[in-house]
Amino acid sequence: MDFPIFHIDFIGNRMLIAVDAILHVIINHALAVGALPIIVLLELIGIRSKDLRWDNLAYRLLKIIFIITTTVGALTGVGIWFSASLINPAAIGSLIRVFFWGWFTEWIVFVTEVSLIMAYFLSWQSASKSPEAKLKHLRLGIFLAAFSWITMAIIVAILGFMMDPGNWMTKRTLLSGLFNPMYFPQLGLRTTLAMVMGSMTMICLTYLFTRHDLAFRAMVLRTISTWSSAWLAGLIIASIWYYQVIPQHMLANIPVAFATQEYASWNGRLKLILIVGLLYVSRVLWLSVKHPGQVHGAKYLVSVLLLFAMLGQFERVREFIRKPFIIGQYMYANGIRVEDYPLLQRDGILQHATYASIREITADNQVSAGREVFEQACTRCHTVNGVNSIRGQLKNMYGEKPWQSEAIAAYVENMHGARYFMPPFPGNKAELDALSVYLSSLQKRAAAFNGAQTNGIPKPDKISASTFYGTLPNLANTHGDLQ
Amino acid sequence: MTPPIPRDIPLPLPAPEGFLEILLIVSFLIHILFVHLMVGGSLFSLVCQIRGLKSPDYEKLAYRIMQTVTVNKSLAVVMGVAPLLVINTLYAPQFYASSALIGDMWMAVIPLVTVAFLLAYAHKFWWNHFINIPELHIGIAALETGLFLFIPLIFMTNVNLMLFPEYWPQVKGFFSAMLLPNVLQRYLHFISATILFSSLFFVWWSGRKSFQNEVGFSRLRVISVRRFFYAFAFGATVFQILTGLVVFASLPPQGMSWGFTLLLMLGGLLVLPAMWWMWQNLTHPGHLLDDRLKEITACFVCAAIIMGIARHDYRENALADHKSAIAEKTANYQAAVKDAREQAQLTAKTQESQTLVPGESAFNLNCAACHHPTLTTVGPALQEIKEIYANNPAGITAWTKAPGKKRPDTMKMPGFSQLSDDELTAISQYLLSH
Repeated sequence: MDFPIFHIDFIGNRMLIAVDAILHVIINHALAVGALPIIVLLELIGIRSKDLRWDNLAYRLLKIIFIITTTVGALTGVGIWFSASLINPAAIGSLIRVFFWGWFTEWIVFVTEVSLIMAYFLSWQSASKSPEAKLKHLRLGIFLAAFSWITMAIIVAILGFMMDPGNWMTKRTLLSGLFNPMYFPQLGLRTTLAMVMGSMTMICLTYLFTRHDLAFRAMVLRTISTWSSAWLAGLIIASIWYYQVIPQHMLANIPVAFATQEYASWNGRLKLILIVGLLYVSRVLWLSVKHPGQVHGAKYLVSVLLLFAMLGQFERVREFIRKPFIIGQYMYANGIRVEDYPLLQRDGILQHATYASIREITADNQVSAGREVFEQACTRCHTVNGVNSIRGQLKNMYGEKPWQSEAIAAYVENMHGARYFMPPFPGNKAELDALSVYLSSLQKRAAAFNGAQTNGIPKPDKISASTFYGTLPNLANTHGDLQ
Repeated sequence: MTPPIPRDIPLPLPAPEGFLEILLIVSFLIHILFVHLMVGGSLFSLVCQIRGLKSPDYEKLAYRIMQTVTVNKSLAVVMGVAPLLVINTLYAPQFYASSALIGDMWMAVIPLVTVAFLLAYAHKFWWNHFINIPELHIGIAALETGLFLFIPLIFMTNVNLMLFPEYWPQVKGFFSAMLLPNVLQRYLHFISATILFSSLFFVWWSGRKSFQNEVGFSRLRVISVRRFFYAFAFGATVFQILTGLVVFASLPPQGMSWGFTLLLMLGGLLVLPAMWWMWQNLTHPGHLLDDRLKEITACFVCAAIIMGIARHDYRENALADHKSAIAEKTANYQAAVKDAREQAQLTAKTQESQTLVPGESAFNLNCAACHHPTLTTVGPALQEIKEIYANNPAGITAWTKAPGKKRPDTMKMPGFSQLSDDELTAISQYLLSH
């Protein structure tokens, strides 16, 4: 509405954020939160046993952690800001106004975390000079592990509001996110999952790095596997806890989150895969504690991949259960505030979209006007031809039968009733008809759909260049019109 | 050209505006300092490595410089988050618009920086692996430096574009925004500042007591290295003044003011004593023993702070009218929203008083999307359903609770377990009787 519409029609806008965010959260959970305690543990054992192999291994593992977290890890974090502000500026802009100090605090912790990981990694070798320096260095590692966990704990508080939209509407504070009933179960789930993921990833790397010293390998694997098993028990408890506190109406959305509706029957199987996954990881860890030298590396790798998939699935579900809203009860996923709906449905969305080029719909411009309505109301989640494409959706619904615009209009008008993850249509009747004509035209051919990054924005007309509003008097009561 | 006037996000700022502005200036200066050290470090490492092909001491120097890049590049990224957050808060309508207009290149910042960082690590961590293939090593360094030099241009293009809403309608993608009349000179001004600040940093770095031991240079060698950096600092300052004048002359008039001009002159004057001391150091090598580095740095830091304030002042001037127009439009829009909402509530009340047929609203909410009165849409038409379930409302209720799949060419109907028996009965009766 108020921002030029960035759009990528191939992978889709949602997918861009999803890929970036999931990569970030995997690196954060597996390599920062979950792996750093292991490094500290190995360093501690090295100091106690005076066996240099532990120390060397810990340093090699930390080097990998350092390289990945300070490149892909840090940048995908910034990438969430970049992609969110391109794809749904109205949403991220609103959230920033409310959660500014939460993010600011998180930033300070993040600066500390980055400084600590540099200090910890870069001073590793010089710390070996004396036992005192080594102990100091170990303390640095403990701080680092604690700060990575705190960064996550703060971010979970900010995410928490999504699970408790009612509070956000009335209080709009970070504390309402922090003390909402979802916070501690979510933090518990993430902490335990991160610890298991982190230790499993370290087990894989250890397996690789110790291939020339099998006796040592067995020692290390047993240690990390024991640590990991303890957290796995916690993970199982945390998952049950988490499922118990998700409010009922949120759970009702979950089957659709796992797969689109026609695949709803997969849900049962998918759940099975999750349970089988946890059982598999438990078994691998059990064997690894009992006979650490005899478990094949591939099993560890499969365990890591299963855990990554679980985290990805968890994030998908978490993102999905806030639909049709992007900010619960306040803003729909299309970036339009709930409050604005009566105005837009009365006057039409094109009348109020700053960067629209068509304002009035006539018999001649229905297709191009419909395209603009599509751009404003649908493109935050749908593409024309790419991921989650509208052509695919229509094809699922109508197949090869002619896509009748009347039928599409009847569907779109009421779809939020049957598809509770869809926001209501935000425009007026003429726009609904234009949109339906445009959508039905897609059965035969679709012109390439580019965003503002390619097409630019239209020349300002009397709506986008003035400060007035419709027939209302200028309430700011000044010479508002810039023309 | 007339600028488009969007509406602002209708939520209050999280802190007083002036406070956020100070936060922006301070955090931005810290961020840019580390960006300078990162880009400059990479550039100097490359230069020294190429020089190192002839005099091996410079190769050692190049390696040491890369160690500083490892630290400075991470700080550049984390320190950038705060100004990004503040600019998102203070300039939402402008910053989001300009970002979207160069969206693909703006998004490309993330993979480009990631690749540059990974190249920097390959460059540094595998230093000894490349001993026999210096071409490859220098190639990696050159690619890394090239990326480090290009990325600021994307940022420069965006922060410049956000200042001038009247240019937005003519911009079609990143390159057209990059070629707006005052971007490239601002970029050159930035790059000369990068060379200036990083060479000053390396003057200090190579003057530390431990430096001689770290690299194993002789005392004389250290002096010549410091002279090398001073020469760059001096040259960059001259270039900085020249590009600064070009930038000033070519800045669009929107943001100009006497206050801004005076700030720039003050900043420029502070540079003069620093230049004099640097010139002394260069022409009389004896000076390098007591080179007044503190005074030189203080001059440049003060100048940078003043320039940072001036830059913000220009931005505020350039956007003043746009911001007030946005505020007006937002207020007017909110009034229109309120008006429409009240109107809609009234209409809803009138409709409520007209007695609705039981089941009608539940039908519209849950069923109408897929079941049209006469057309077969997603599901079968009501006409057809009526024929099948004539006098059998219980059949509809049972089916809706646990639908099967009868028709091979349509989607399976979802189950409506959230509806109560009473609602379902009302819906089926409404459906059959209309």
